[in-house]
Amino acid sequence: MATTTLNPRAETYQRSWVLDWLTTVDHKKIGILYIVNSFFFFFAAGILALVIRSELAVPGLQFLDEATYNQAFTMHGTIMIFLFIVPVLSGFANYIVPLMLGAPDMAFPRINALSFWLLPVGGLLIFSGYLFGGAAAEGWTGYNPLTQAKYSPGPGTDLWLIGLTLVGTASILGSINFIATIFKMRAPGMTLFRMPIFVWTVLVTAVLILLATPVFTAGLIALFIDRNYGGSFFDPNVGGSPILWQHIFWFFGHPEVYIVILPAMGVVSEVLPVFSRKPLFGYRAFVFATVGIGLLSFSVWAHHMFTTGFVFLPFFSFMTALIAVPTGVKFFNWMATLWRGKLSLTTPMLFALGFLSMFLIGGLSGVMLSSPAVDFHLQDTYFVVAHLHYVFFGGSVFGVFAATYYWFPKMTGRKLNEGLGKVHFWMHFIGFNLAFFPMHQLGISGMPRRVADYSPDAGWTILNSMSTAGAFLIAASIFPFLINVVATFINGERAGDDPWEGNTLEWATSSPPPPYNFDRLPPIHSERPLFFLTHGHGHAADRPADVDEKPEDDVQRRGGAA
Amino acid sequence: MRFTTARSRLWGLLRAAIPFLIIGLLSGCLLPPEPKTETAKDVFGLYVAVLVMGGIVFLGVEGFIVYAVVRYRRKPGDDQLPPQVHGNTMVEIIWTAIPTVIVLILFVISTITLNAVEARSAKPGVTVEATGFQWQWRFRYLDSDNNPKNDAVVNGTAANPPVMRLPVGEPIRVILPSLDVIHSFFVPQFLIKRDVVPVGENGTPNELEFTISEEGTYTGQCAEFCGLQHANMTFAIQAMTRAKYDQWLKVAKSGATPAPSAAPNATVIKLSATGTKFSTDRIQVPAGQPFVIRFEITDGQNHNVAVLKGGQVLFAGEIFQGPGVREYQVPALPAGEYQFQCQVHPVMTGTIVAGP
Repeated sequence: MATTTLNPRAETYQRSWVLDWLTTVDHKKIGILYIVNSFFFFFAAGILALVIRSELAVPGLQFLDEATYNQAFTMHGTIMIFLFIVPVLSGFANYIVPLMLGAPDMAFPRINALSFWLLPVGGLLIFSGYLFGGAAAEGWTGYNPLTQAKYSPGPGTDLWLIGLTLVGTASILGSINFIATIFKMRAPGMTLFRMPIFVWTVLVTAVLILLATPVFTAGLIALFIDRNYGGSFFDPNVGGSPILWQHIFWFFGHPEVYIVILPAMGVVSEVLPVFSRKPLFGYRAFVFATVGIGLLSFSVWAHHMFTTGFVFLPFFSFMTALIAVPTGVKFFNWMATLWRGKLSLTTPMLFALGFLSMFLIGGLSGVMLSSPAVDFHLQDTYFVVAHLHYVFFGGSVFGVFAATYYWFPKMTGRKLNEGLGKVHFWMHFIGFNLAFFPMHQLGISGMPRRVADYSPDAGWTILNSMSTAGAFLIAASIFPFLINVVATFINGERAGDDPWEGNTLEWATSSPPPPYNFDRLPPIHSERPLFFLTHGHGHAADRPADVDEKPEDDVQRRGGAA
Repeated sequence: MRFTTARSRLWGLLRAAIPFLIIGLLSGCLLPPEPKTETAKDVFGLYVAVLVMGGIVFLGVEGFIVYAVVRYRRKPGDDQLPPQVHGNTMVEIIWTAIPTVIVLILFVISTITLNAVEARSAKPGVTVEATGFQWQWRFRYLDSDNNPKNDAVVNGTAANPPVMRLPVGEPIRVILPSLDVIHSFFVPQFLIKRDVVPVGENGTPNELEFTISEEGTYTGQCAEFCGLQHANMTFAIQAMTRAKYDQWLKVAKSGATPAPSAAPNATVIKLSATGTKFSTDRIQVPAGQPFVIRFEITDGQNHNVAVLKGGQVLFAGEIFQGPGVREYQVPALPAGEYQFQCQVHPVMTGTIVAGP
């Protein structure tokens, strides 16, 4: 069933398997390295989450002291954001974007490899604080003056700063690579408005990374100078400004959360149409909404600082509420894609639908926070923890699992088992809501965040215990997933080129693709090049103007002889 | 093969929704605590309006998703494509315009409430300086004579979080200086918080104003992560009638705050500070007996002496500006080793040994 026949001489150069993976510049292998590395950090940060939730299940300090707890939540946030969610989406982008563009690889394959290898080094540096007297313990936001040397002595915070600088550099290099690839290496016929939506989201994400991350890196270096060389950037006693740190951090930090969500939205925008057997409704509107979100994301950062007393509230409140409009456009387009479709509830589709439901809640709680007077009550409470987990976890992580189940067959040639996939999904979905929905109420009733303990008289115990139960259910849900992955590698159902009846070019080559990706490319006349190939008809947009009615004449068709 | 009708699928879905209903019900009604200040009532009202708007959107969108999953499920064996609708420009315009209008409405009602919350009265009934430091609070009641030395002060310790007594029905202005890192002054029942930001010598600290509407005791807590003991940085506000408050204030100003005073022949430790240095870094005191620290500041800066063990503040002497001398009455310390520290300049530390 393969459309590409491997040249039998292609694999005669024998290399050790380990050396091959260590030195590869092939975007597909690098993509897999990103994904596997990210999942290791996911489990590490997930264990930290279980540590946190175990301690908070009931009042009183049962297992940890305050210092250990503070390191735990700092490491949990830092690792989850910088070493799991951004890299794993980067990994899927790395694997899939060149295929979706019909390109043989990324524009700069060696920089691609460098971008990856900086990640385990940076991540281990951040973790190494534990070996040198304590990891960083000031929260992933590292607010000053708390992160100044006099209040947080010891190398943990310095290692955190250096590790993040490396990780940030990796991101910046990767983003340059994606922008160059997307602009310069599209197959003939693929105009920008015929690119898959996933590629659009990766493009906007890459621009956000390029513009925002250097600001963060500058801040990290400035703080390092403050801590180690007598700098005075952020210490108010020597003429610096702690609020300046917050501006620098959040000017990056807010686009960062869109960096985290946009690729996941891209995945959902690929999965929903395939499993509804309809095109994405409103492709152009979707592209404009994505670009709009990218632009607006640079104008809202101070909504994280409403309670500081140093922010012009009306502007940031307005822009934050405004960003709900393009997000709403995306939601309505997704809903219209489902409307009158023919839905198959496969595991990737379940995770995509789960994304819609959970990100909806996270988005709405975000709009609530956009009102400063309401934010004065809810800021720095568990309401924010609930909000951020509904968007990061309910949004991006659900998108990551949708991507995993959707593209696993392409990457490995085998389909993950649907039964285990559904068990994973439902345990994950129920566990997630059990863990994080009660946190809304905890925050609304006044429980602050980043607290190692809370008063038994506050009335917060039951909700905390529920949340802990949910956390353990999420952890348990990983087991059907891992069993599925291992079992599928051993003896899973083989997938052909196109197990899902997909629309985009990655399904026009073998599973997994050969090193050079494509033998021949189909002609590209719409954003669904394969749809026309498979069904030979459809909306005028799918039908090329210059090809006659019988497409099998000079177009390579799948499932038949070339 | 079992043939599932749309109705039985819907019933299956409703049964599956039961765990979520339970989670939702146990999670509470999503309403803030009953508001106890005038502006908190405005915030509560705004919150409810925003929650209702969000709730409507949630039910609409989520309801559609559930409906679509049930109604548009692909039937087994159905290989026909559904109508391949690519988009509709008019619909895009409508669902861009309507949310924009909703956003504008949200912004307007938000701004109205924000202006109420941020309003400042010309003459507050009480002005309190609530100083945050790692990891407690100190409340100083400013009177009109511009002399900090005769102000009533409430010092918080880890063992005894401070209580801010206030009259009901009058605007209370709270000034929020920090001695070290950023903290946050949060009273959940007032539906408000404000960060306590160190602003350096020439800066102006944040201020907050509220009018308490009901007598009672309201707990508060630091809400900006500030280090090791952030979770323990609690306080309380006790609101009472103006008459009772005046009575309390008179007693507090006369310095009669209950503190275990040392016996006439108690040990007096002499300690001085200048710049960022104490005169000694090791003090010996008798265990189990209250003692006195005669603390002299020879430069023009603010200093104090606090006694800590394991990061927990056991005693915090009043911070004052030198040059000058104060006598701190320190409660008895069980035998062991402690640290003393200036809370304005945490680099200034030393050891106290309480021995036989």
